[in-house]
Amino acid sequence: MLQHLFKLIWNKKGTHSLLIIEIFASFLVLFGVLSLIVFNARNYLQPIGFEYAQVWNIDLASNQDTVDVSRKLANVMQRIRSYKEVETATRMSSNTPFSANQVSGSMTYNKVTVGADFYYTDPDFNKTLDLPLLKGRWYREGDRVAKFIPIVINKKLEDKLFLNETSLNKVIKIDDKSSYKVVGVIDKFKAKGEFMSDNPGLFEMLAKDDTWNSNVLIKTKGGTDANFEAKLVKDIAMMLPGWGIEVSYLKESRLNRHNLTLVPVIIFLIISAFLLTNVALGLFGILNLNISRRKNEIGLRRAMGATEGKVAIQFLGEIWVIATFSLIIGLLFAVQFPLMNVFDLDSEIYITSIFASIAVIYIIVTLCAWLPSKQASRIHPAVALHEE
Amino acid sequence: MIKLENVEKVYRTSVIETLALNNINIHVKKGEFVSIMGPSGCGKSTLLNIMGLLDTPSKGNIEIDGSKVEKYTDKSLAHLRNQKLGFIFQSFHLINDLSVIDNVEIPLLYRNSSSRERRELAQEALEKVGLSNRMKHFPKQLSGGQKQRVAIARAIVGKPEIILADEPTGNLDSAMGNEILSILQNLNEGGATIVMVTHDDAMAKRTHRLIRLFDGTQVL
Repeated sequence: MLQHLFKLIWNKKGTHSLLIIEIFASFLVLFGVLSLIVFNARNYLQPIGFEYAQVWNIDLASNQDTVDVSRKLANVMQRIRSYKEVETATRMSSNTPFSANQVSGSMTYNKVTVGADFYYTDPDFNKTLDLPLLKGRWYREGDRVAKFIPIVINKKLEDKLFLNETSLNKVIKIDDKSSYKVVGVIDKFKAKGEFMSDNPGLFEMLAKDDTWNSNVLIKTKGGTDANFEAKLVKDIAMMLPGWGIEVSYLKESRLNRHNLTLVPVIIFLIISAFLLTNVALGLFGILNLNISRRKNEIGLRRAMGATEGKVAIQFLGEIWVIATFSLIIGLLFAVQFPLMNVFDLDSEIYITSIFASIAVIYIIVTLCAWLPSKQASRIHPAVALHEE
Repeated sequence: MIKLENVEKVYRTSVIETLALNNINIHVKKGEFVSIMGPSGCGKSTLLNIMGLLDTPSKGNIEIDGSKVEKYTDKSLAHLRNQKLGFIFQSFHLINDLSVIDNVEIPLLYRNSSSRERRELAQEALEKVGLSNRMKHFPKQLSGGQKQRVAIARAIVGKPEIILADEPTGNLDSAMGNEILSILQNLNEGGATIVMVTHDDAMAKRTHRLIRLFDGTQVL
């Protein structure tokens, strides 16, 4: 019977070509949307790796001030740490958690080169964000006199760069003059929030005279309110006249970041739903038209021994065959994504999305074809055979 | 082979009741070639549909090859149609999107036959009606006579014992009509029981027995 259905649809491929194209396009859009959803969902299920609830970000902009900037920043840090409302504070580069900024670079070890996110921080960074260490320790002031620049890396970078070796105390050459030395390994640091994938990451200690990286993260004690924020801004403004001072809460930055991720997903979902609705309505219309045009054939098949159920299955089967033709064409495109490792995503994401898209398409075509197919099966054979 | 006792068929709508068949008693014996004649609207096709289990009588009993079918389910009726009956229609009812051989295979799709077995039986049936050279053609490429021969091949492919033909020569010229009737006569000589509805006296005369209907009543 299956062979018969394939033959019937193949011989009518011209008539069904628009429908085939529509299902094919819907499959591709659905595949894209589901890949995005699966990618984000998988990321979301992985822990973010740090605590942000009580952490504020102070963005200090020196503007035109170039005089003695590192000392001024050190004084501000000292002042911030002195408040009773502050548990810990740390200075870091502008790619603070949940910000849009990114600092990327690459490193090579034993001919293996890996791209990573670079974070420049002071020794209090892990305490401020409660970053647990898997191995080794966080860098400390004493490391400044060491021969190599101390770095902490995340597990992802360790796995990619050192493969099966342990990374602790390994020296990575940067150029002829300087090298990194791995002093610690953390598990995850998903700076862009839950929806970010666990990218390779590296933390490098800020130089003592650094003037460039002027973001401060402060972990406040519970119950700290906006009054302290006003006081803090006022105090810093007095210490840094002419500087820009902007305070944001990581909790709120996280929500903004989520929206940035979710909005495109929702837009694609709406497009996808619109396309699938079109397919559903198209299928429904085509099947109804088919049935009224093919009453003779229904009568004939009933006369030749088809039961009501077999007539219904035939119409359902035809639509499954049409969907299968579309999906075969769609699959030719979709399988390229995992095969060619497009966007460097885990192939499991694409494979899950392919199977989910196939299931959704078959469910939709079945739902649309069910009622017309049942109607077709209920046509009285004697009546059907005498309709012209 | 086919036994109809006190068969009555009434079509009812909300405003009108039409008596299409009234007290029909027919017994078609195995190997008979029977023709049914009568003016248009006298109930010939209704009678053939009831004999072919495509329609149910309002009253009366039907027996096909010794089986009383009143209480048969849709599945059992479909099985009986598939195994025992072959249908030939005036307007051929070929599926234009299928080739000749695929059209002929249709009854076998509703049996547990392998594709190879289906193909062999369909080829054999097409050879019997002299169309083995047109297997890959599509219905639109055939003449009326050829289409009816394909329909006959489809009716006989499952080797049914009964063939029901509803004006099989109605859409053909006399030469083609004669050719079709000769094929039916050959099938009858081969053992098939045939019931044929016709308007043509000359055709009816070539069958063993004639049943005449008038206004739904059997007059001969």
